[in-house]
Amino acid sequence: MTAATIVELESQHTASEASPLAVLGLSGTALLTACGGGGEGSTSTTLAAPPDNSLANNLAFTDAARFLRQASWGGTSQEIKDLASTGPQIWLNGQFNAPQGQTLTRWLIEKGFNDASTSNNVNGDGGWVQAIWWKLFSATDLFRQRAALALSELFVVSQLGLPFSWRNFAIANYWEILETNALGNFRTLLESVTLSSAMGTYLNMKGNQKYDAKTGRSPDENYAREVMQLFTIGLYQLNIDGTLQLDSQGKPIESYDNSDTQGLARVFTGWNTATGTDATGELANAAYRHGLPMMLNANLHSPEEKKFLGVTIPAGTPGVESLKIALDTLFNHKNTAPFISKQLIQRLVTSNPSPAYVARVANLFINNGKGVRGDMKAVWSAILVDTEARQVNAPASFGKLSEPMVRLLQWGHTFRATSTDGAWTLGYTDADTSLGQMPMRSPSVFNFFRPGYVPPNTQVASQNLVAPEFQILTEPTVVGYVNYMAGTVNNARNIKADYSTEKALATDPAALVAHLNLCLASGALTPANQSLIVNAITSISAATETGLLNRIYAAVLMVMSSTDYLIQR
Amino acid sequence: MTHNKYSNLTRRGLLKSTAALAMQRVSIPMATSLGLMADAAAQSANDYKALVCIFLYGANDHYNTVIPYDVATHTNYYNIRKGTPTAGTVYDGIAIGRNALSATALSTALSDGRQMALNPEMSALQNLFENKRASILMNVGPLVVPTSRLQYDNKSVPLPPKLFSHNDQQAYWQSSFQTEGGAKGWGGRAADLLLSNNSKSTLTCISINGNALFLSGQNAISYQMSSTGATTINAIKGKSLFGSANCAAALQTLITQQSSLPMASDYTTVTKRALDTYDGIVAAIGATASASMNALFPSSATNSLSAQLKMVARMIEQQATFGMKRQVFMVGIGGFDLHDFLATQHPPLLQKLSSAMKEFDDAMTSLGKGSQVTAFTASDFGRTLTSNGDGSDHGWGSHHFVMGGAVNGGKFLGTAPEIGLTHNQQVGSGRLLPSTAVDQLGAELAAWFGVSATDVKTVLPNAKNFDLYKLGLFKE
Repeated sequence: MTAATIVELESQHTASEASPLAVLGLSGTALLTACGGGGEGSTSTTLAAPPDNSLANNLAFTDAARFLRQASWGGTSQEIKDLASTGPQIWLNGQFNAPQGQTLTRWLIEKGFNDASTSNNVNGDGGWVQAIWWKLFSATDLFRQRAALALSELFVVSQLGLPFSWRNFAIANYWEILETNALGNFRTLLESVTLSSAMGTYLNMKGNQKYDAKTGRSPDENYAREVMQLFTIGLYQLNIDGTLQLDSQGKPIESYDNSDTQGLARVFTGWNTATGTDATGELANAAYRHGLPMMLNANLHSPEEKKFLGVTIPAGTPGVESLKIALDTLFNHKNTAPFISKQLIQRLVTSNPSPAYVARVANLFINNGKGVRGDMKAVWSAILVDTEARQVNAPASFGKLSEPMVRLLQWGHTFRATSTDGAWTLGYTDADTSLGQMPMRSPSVFNFFRPGYVPPNTQVASQNLVAPEFQILTEPTVVGYVNYMAGTVNNARNIKADYSTEKALATDPAALVAHLNLCLASGALTPANQSLIVNAITSISAATETGLLNRIYAAVLMVMSSTDYLIQR
Repeated sequence: MTHNKYSNLTRRGLLKSTAALAMQRVSIPMATSLGLMADAAAQSANDYKALVCIFLYGANDHYNTVIPYDVATHTNYYNIRKGTPTAGTVYDGIAIGRNALSATALSTALSDGRQMALNPEMSALQNLFENKRASILMNVGPLVVPTSRLQYDNKSVPLPPKLFSHNDQQAYWQSSFQTEGGAKGWGGRAADLLLSNNSKSTLTCISINGNALFLSGQNAISYQMSSTGATTINAIKGKSLFGSANCAAALQTLITQQSSLPMASDYTTVTKRALDTYDGIVAAIGATASASMNALFPSSATNSLSAQLKMVARMIEQQATFGMKRQVFMVGIGGFDLHDFLATQHPPLLQKLSSAMKEFDDAMTSLGKGSQVTAFTASDFGRTLTSNGDGSDHGWGSHHFVMGGAVNGGKFLGTAPEIGLTHNQQVGSGRLLPSTAVDQLGAELAAWFGVSATDVKTVLPNAKNFDLYKLGLFKE
């Protein structure tokens, strides 16, 4: 195809975004067949004029696919078809009621990672790394897992900051806290995270003690600072729509100062690792205690007055009550609804939500319609069914760069990937010569990227947009991702895809690409790029099984390397 | 403008520098006249300079890095930081006993006679200090204007925003006046002024440690490299994607095409830069490090900082091949936020820092660039003098190292603070109130690098508030 032709098709695409048919480059009939899950693949690639009802179906399919990219790890063709007929809210309601699957802790025990005679179980990470991939690739409560992953990027705990024994079980417990509370109430989530063994170590609340006049030792301030800065109210006063409140000189207003931090730090004193032993005898003491919330030693809790954020906890107030007052204060602060809502929108839907969108979600955080504050189901629903999330023909500023680990999980889910030996051995994927990201292994409590990150010298910057995920986009990682996926989609790793649906389509390159376009890219591949991929894979002979598979591998990789796919809209 | 062999020298870049030179009022350790400047521009590869920023993420505990050693001051330090000893370490609480410091005690005293030692893990850095290859800048940190304790307490002068917040202070250190979200760093702004002298301006500012605000300028971009080497997409390099040359070609077309969406376009820009620079870099520095380079960095297999600095060294080794005159590099390690576990976690980090810095300095000397490269450490902030039991908390002013053959080595620069909890150079818990501003450090680094006294005020916007060029970082 000549360069001139490509340019023509490009401009056609941008001028005619209203026509999903042009986007899909296929007749409606071929599309339905390809994504119906059954029947032969269509051999027709004629661009026939579509009847009106199939136009509506196409819109429904692409919107369903888009929704599943936002709310899950994308969708299989069957899931897309089903969601197209039920609509997103019904899907969500089903997901809200989905039972929780086996816990990471139970999986670890079944696989023998509780065996204390193996030193790697006591001091290493093999267990949690396998367990987290097992959970993320195979759990059927898809939205709960998607939500937990998003929450793990807000209430960040990283393996890199857990220098203790039986780390596998601390991380397993932390994931359980996120998945158990992801669809519950924010206040409960906040408290469970605060008292978890993993967070207690990660941000140093564990072993934190009251002031000692003899030595001058003061309560450590780390958790007090980060729980405000990162988990609840943020640095600056916010309006309900997430925009900054400004003072009379037009400057942002800090939401807390160092005296607030020091006052709040006194609250988080006296807590330490739980005691107790495993009645079943399955877990060594330290492993078992990672599964319990921290316990209070009242003697080490600060007896001083604790002043922060306009609240004064009287001197002598015991630890549990002090904690309750502190967490209630943070939960009820006017910043918390917009601060949390905006970041969760950024994780799932778009980097630059309109203030109105943020406000709609924040208002549901404040009151779910039944007088309850912090109802996460209401928040997630608000985020995902909002008109801004569901819009078609979105402005150019809408959307987000997908996260590398979410792309990997989308590959796994779309193609029903499974671990042949049940060990889910992918290992660490965060090297910059690899996928470039690993769940539960952020470089710091500030996550892989900041919500306000602006990539320098970019169009994003010149348009006053933010693009958090660009913070991990570098020359090494942009290349590392493609190389990593090339070595993944061909089933060379422990986790392998089931390409049987695709094998049935692969003799018809156009049908295969249409199918991948819908399932992976939610229909966003330009007609030119579809043709490019179709022509390229057609040149691979389909006479052998190997040839068919190579067509699939190449097509999947090309789709997943295209910015049509990478920029999720 | 005279024509010369450096065809990349832009009129704008040259005029900016020469106009600035005509206006400068202070002498700086570099050519100062119009004629010399033009000559300098026309010089051969001898006129190469590089700055290397070594960022310690998480806020290094400076009190256990550069440590009081004379009996009286050490006793002060010890009494404040002592606590429960950690078995198998030299730590009592978070204090290091004086006996453990004798091997790394520094022969030069402070101007008031007090003695200092380095952390026991830092014998390599001690060697650098004693051989005058490195100096220590005491109590440096971000300030907007010179600030006294009274002014801090009364908030009667502007202060850097969000003190004690990691990400904001990292951003502030690197940009000098912006907190998180800021788009430009002072390394990048300095590079902007000088990158026209580079044939491959894309490679002016290089980070081996992820996206670095410090290196981002108006034209200077923070170019990332992996510590393992230049990388490209294997299928494109091998012209085969799952056995198909057509698919490899299609992949290349697909990922390098333009897009009208800003995020897509910006993504593609990074892709294209990675692909376009690969061949030139590999041709110059090789696919892997040479045996001699590996021998210069023996700890690189286990020390990430050494591995990163080895990559910097490989690039510096080939600066003439790339046609580079001025480069800014950034490397870093994390793990310094030791609210807990200081006794067990801090020593290995300092050992890695110290040995990597020595390896790098030796490598620069070995490459004949010993006086052309200046490295300096930086960190979010320092830490409290007080302990919370087994760690320290967020501070402000900190001590940092400056290293290289051009450096006025073996000295304590700036003003060493008292050790205590009640003096006026601290703001509570021994958190130091900086007596030297990052801008003052940056101004002298920039001047050595080639930035004029006038231009330094755009590179470091708050520099105008301070007395500049008084630290004596560099030899005359």
